[in-house]
Amino acid sequence: MALELEYDRSLYGKEHEAGPFEVTEDMIISFNQSISQMGACYNDRDAAVEAGYRGIIAPPTLCTLFVRRVELPDINLKFGKTRFHGGQRVQSKTPIVAGDSISASSHLKEVYAKTGRSGTMVFIVWETTFTNQLGEVVADVQESYAARE
Amino acid sequence: MTNENQTYFEDVELGDEIGPLEKVATDEGVVDFCTLWGNPIPNRFTSDEEAAKAKLPGPIVPGVMSMSLMAQLITDWAGPDGLKDLDVVFRQPVPHNKPLIITGTINDTRQEDGENVVQCDVLMTGTEGERYIIGTALVSLPSRS
Repeated sequence: MALELEYDRSLYGKEHEAGPFEVTEDMIISFNQSISQMGACYNDRDAAVEAGYRGIIAPPTLCTLFVRRVELPDINLKFGKTRFHGGQRVQSKTPIVAGDSISASSHLKEVYAKTGRSGTMVFIVWETTFTNQLGEVVADVQESYAARE
Repeated sequence: MTNENQTYFEDVELGDEIGPLEKVATDEGVVDFCTLWGNPIPNRFTSDEEAAKAKLPGPIVPGVMSMSLMAQLITDWAGPDGLKDLDVVFRQPVPHNKPLIITGTINDTRQEDGENVVQCDVLMTGTEGERYIIGTALVSLPSRS
């Protein structure tokens, strides 16, 4: 029998917004240094412009830094004692360029249960869409939190 | 946006391996990442005490940082904007200061909406066979013609 999940379903369809966040060259380079990302287009403006970009570009996962700046409500899930970050998905649409101003909009995408060898877990998935100052969607990010009994 | 080291769609085949790429998330790198992320320090990613409170064996690498390390496997291979979709599952806590081996295997190639799409399984492991992160990547590659 399917597990009947109890949580606040009224959150579906509601957008939670944050930003805009200014993406500077310094921010991109600090991000690169923390993960030892040495790629020329991510670090050198001349190389990036030569490759056809407006300026140095951000590695595709930089936008994940902004996800938690969106204030998200508790979904009041009545399941499990522990929660952890179960997974993440980044869909890049167009590169973020130094100087861009990025806005975030998040919504509850889905809540579902999965039963495996270690028992049942419930996954809460939030989806955040990032848009730049030109109105272009630069990335969609899904963060999945798992609740375990 | 290509260069002389560019990988082309015509050059890849099912089963081809990408990598390995070896990375290490140092203590300093994790602190710098958390600072940029806006996660107040100390936290379970930077402090033994905070990690113990969270019932972790030691400070771990944030998932978003681990994912950023994995993304480099693809961007090093496909070019800076070749990675279109990276979907990962965090299987085990990722430790600081240990070699992290990142690999990919091509499991599909196709043309979709005029784009050359390569699908890969991606994996981050430890040197003793730990499977930290598994996932899938979709990559766009240019054609030679």
